[in-house]
Amino acid sequence: MFFFIISLTTMSSRFGYLMINTLFFSVIYAWLLYQKGLLTDPMAVSYLIQIPFIIVIAMFYGYLITTRLKDKDVRIHEAWERYEQIVQATDVLMCIVDHDGKFLFTNQKLVKFYGYQDEKSLYGLTISQLHNEDETEAEKSLNYVRSVYQNNDMVQYESYDKNHGVWFSNTLSPIRDTSTQDVFAVCIISKNITDLIAKEKKLNDTVGLLIKTRGQLIQKDKMAALGRLASGIAHEIRNPLEIIYMGVDYLENNLPNDNPHVRESIEKIFNAVSRADNIIKNILSFSRQSEYKITQRPLCPLLDNVLKLAEQMIQKNGVSVQRKYDDELLEVAGDYNMLQQVFVNLVNNAVDAMKDRKEKILTVRAYKQLATEVGYKTGYRRADFFSIGDEMIIVEISDTGRGIPAEALPKIFEPFFTTKSANEGTGLGLSIAHMIMDRLSGTIDVESRENQGTTFFIKLQPKIKVMDAKEM
Amino acid sequence: MKENIKVLIIDDEVDFCYFVKKNLMKDELFNVIIATNGQDGIELAKNEEPDIILLDLFMPDMPGEDVAAALKENTVTADIPILFVTALATNDDIVDSEENKIGNNYILPKPVRTKKLIETIMKILSKH
Repeated sequence: MFFFIISLTTMSSRFGYLMINTLFFSVIYAWLLYQKGLLTDPMAVSYLIQIPFIIVIAMFYGYLITTRLKDKDVRIHEAWERYEQIVQATDVLMCIVDHDGKFLFTNQKLVKFYGYQDEKSLYGLTISQLHNEDETEAEKSLNYVRSVYQNNDMVQYESYDKNHGVWFSNTLSPIRDTSTQDVFAVCIISKNITDLIAKEKKLNDTVGLLIKTRGQLIQKDKMAALGRLASGIAHEIRNPLEIIYMGVDYLENNLPNDNPHVRESIEKIFNAVSRADNIIKNILSFSRQSEYKITQRPLCPLLDNVLKLAEQMIQKNGVSVQRKYDDELLEVAGDYNMLQQVFVNLVNNAVDAMKDRKEKILTVRAYKQLATEVGYKTGYRRADFFSIGDEMIIVEISDTGRGIPAEALPKIFEPFFTTKSANEGTGLGLSIAHMIMDRLSGTIDVESRENQGTTFFIKLQPKIKVMDAKEM
Repeated sequence: MKENIKVLIIDDEVDFCYFVKKNLMKDELFNVIIATNGQDGIELAKNEEPDIILLDLFMPDMPGEDVAAALKENTVTADIPILFVTALATNDDIVDSEENKIGNNYILPKPVRTKKLIETIMKILSKH
């Protein structure tokens, strides 16, 4: 009994309780002694007298223990505060999740960022539910959690939060059982790297711009060198060609007229010379990029003029022409001669393609259209000629000819690619057209079906494009 | 228009000059004289006073433009029309195709056939 009281008193953790308990149990002990009539027993009385001493001893022990406990308490509290400070005061979003991505712990930054009241309102939710409007991100986050469990290793990935427009760098670390080393939770730390990404993008843009400028300079250099080469070639080859022309003219005048073979031979020589000259002419226009004069001018009279230039050939081949201009007043930005060269080329090709066809219809359309789809030189990049929503002037030149075989279609804009015989084409026409369109910040495209016909789409700028200062 | 048209060719391509002379002189209309460099050409122009000068743009001793400038400076030769026959131009260069002109100069790109050359010469002379 005696020891029971002592042990009870010492077990009391608080000093106040200790005193009350000691007093309480001492009185009970005295009362028990009295009840049993043992108060007269000298042994018992001596016990009773011992009680105050015991109390004092007990009090002393109790005091020691409680102060110790109190100390520990304070230390735990301090540690907790420090930990709280780190977890809550940090700029990163932090949480601990289980295998299913369910939150076991979240810091205030995360709670606030996703607009929840407090930590408790996130319990029961999973990490994927933070991205409930972006399915791919939701799935991604969960997959990464699982991969940490599987591989028992850290994972790092970047994610984009659409709703907030924020980029995160996420680090997932496994939390392991100290004895078994099994993963029982994953700690996710997400750092906002939006500014970093923006800076990186800016850097990339600058690098891209530098590369582009370098490319332009190289191109300019190349074109200048090609220009010098081409005019050199033109001069060196055309002079002998001229002598051949003049010489054959002389022979023609002085040879007997009655021999048909002579006439035929002379004709063949002339054809060969003009073929060679054609190639030189085309190479010259390849190299004359710097001589463009881009002005804004009406489109339809230009197209009419092209058809007039080709009139003889069109009539000779029995081709009927349909003009479908949406608006006679359409204007385009371009170099008149270059545009004319492109269109004449396409009209010639169209007429050629219909030579052995029954139905021979050449359709020339001109209309306005807004760029709506991302495509070749169309989109959001700085190098694109048309941005989405930009106005484009489109010229379509369609024929009902034999069409271009599918395997040849990707190659038709390559220099010296031709399906015509050597007498009919140099294989430079379309590649020059492509180069000219590039130079005019426009595009040329083709659609073709074998045995049905071919349509070329020429997309032009409605106004002279003021070069972006950034672009220079 | 005179009965006999005197044409001066200034071109370093000797064979070209040879054939042009042969071909033009087939018609009795033309009388052709030849200079195979710029300096000779200027001298010949002064002495012979041709009706028209066919001038190459690119010659070893002096460029056609300089020859033309020298001819324009001399009162004797200043009014003689000059037709540049050159391998350096293309038909696209001729802005005014009716007049075969680049700026104030007549021009005819090589290679050209005799028929077209005669036509051009006649067209230019009809304006002078």
